[in-house]
Amino acid sequence: MKKYARLRAIEYYLPEEIVSNAALSSAFPDWMPEKILEKTGIIERHIAGVHETASDLAYHAAEKLFLEHGVDKDDIDFLIFCTQTPDHLLPTSACLIHEKLGLKKHCGALDIGLGCSGYVYGLSLAKAMIESGISKNVLFLTGDTYSKYMHPKDRSVRTLFGDAATASLIVSSDEVESKIGPFVFGTDGAGADNLIIPAGGSRLFPSTETAIEYTDSMGNVRSQNHLYMNGPEIMSFTLSSVPTVFKEILLRAGKTIDEIDHVVFHQANKFMLEALRKKIKIPHDKFIIELDTVGNTVSSTIPIAIARAKQKGQIHCGDNVLILGFGVGYSWGAAILESY
Amino acid sequence: MEEFFEGMAEILEIDVEKVVPDLNLSDYAWDSLAVVSTMALVDDVFNVMLDGQALAKCEKLSDILAAIELAKKA
Repeated sequence: MKKYARLRAIEYYLPEEIVSNAALSSAFPDWMPEKILEKTGIIERHIAGVHETASDLAYHAAEKLFLEHGVDKDDIDFLIFCTQTPDHLLPTSACLIHEKLGLKKHCGALDIGLGCSGYVYGLSLAKAMIESGISKNVLFLTGDTYSKYMHPKDRSVRTLFGDAATASLIVSSDEVESKIGPFVFGTDGAGADNLIIPAGGSRLFPSTETAIEYTDSMGNVRSQNHLYMNGPEIMSFTLSSVPTVFKEILLRAGKTIDEIDHVVFHQANKFMLEALRKKIKIPHDKFIIELDTVGNTVSSTIPIAIARAKQKGQIHCGDNVLILGFGVGYSWGAAILESY
Repeated sequence: MEEFFEGMAEILEIDVEKVVPDLNLSDYAWDSLAVVSTMALVDDVFNVMLDGQALAKCEKLSDILAAIELAKKA
């Protein structure tokens, strides 16, 4: 009998240390805390401890999922970990998390290296694993610690990004239709240099040269070992591409915006979200903005937004949610799913 | 055009009366956020996408207006 995938639960974990706008303001004196909030929509963001990695955060998110939702960890037969800040180049961080969680050995585990679009991609893999009959219970984790790669004097990124991890459980169900899908994907590698950590991989090994700091035209300081984001280019890409992707996913689903209960975009920053909402003409009451106390947590933004909206009673079980992630790569993906 | 000037007044945090072609952008809050905000404003009002690098180099409001005209023709 054909099995269909459904999203059963989402939990998330935020590291303890908080960076407030007041703290950022003391580093960047010409930006008052109120201005940071007004421009970004963010009051505070969490950052991982010195010895805390993305895989540690993801481990905590998974434990929370098991505890809160009565999950037997022996039922997990596949683990996907979406991160761009793995513990090592190798081995796979998912293997380390698998070990720490004490999952059974007859369980696959892999990392996927995506950012803002990662949650949509990971969901598609989980759905594929289940609906092809390969797996029954997929644990899909997201986690990143961009904070470890930002230069202390780069205000273009420090105000926006926060660390976090999420855990989603996707299970096989006997229900007669799929609760996850359809999907739309896209890629444009021409935008690669606009959101990048240039050194650290095989293309450019870290060296004394890559550590040389430079100041850009806006007064931000970084080196090639640090995260670089070209805000204007990302804005241009976003405003040009996202509306088309939005239309495509609705077309593929054979639905109109009226039949969608909630829209959850990758929570890049409030300003960009509002520009998109206005451009695409998405009703305010359907459009979820949830980033003021977490910031941009990369592939965790969409699941955190859904989980928090559920907690607040905005999203209910069975609601149709349109999710759309876009950014680093450039990579994008959209899907419609039925909420848990 | 009025909508654009009102938007620019909000971005630069000044009264709309001060928004004139001769306005010197660097006298006000012309930072990376202002550039990105202006890109969104121009897209919304004129339905054209300005190049961020070129926009960041604009010195006067008239430079932005010229860039918009150029983008409209493209």
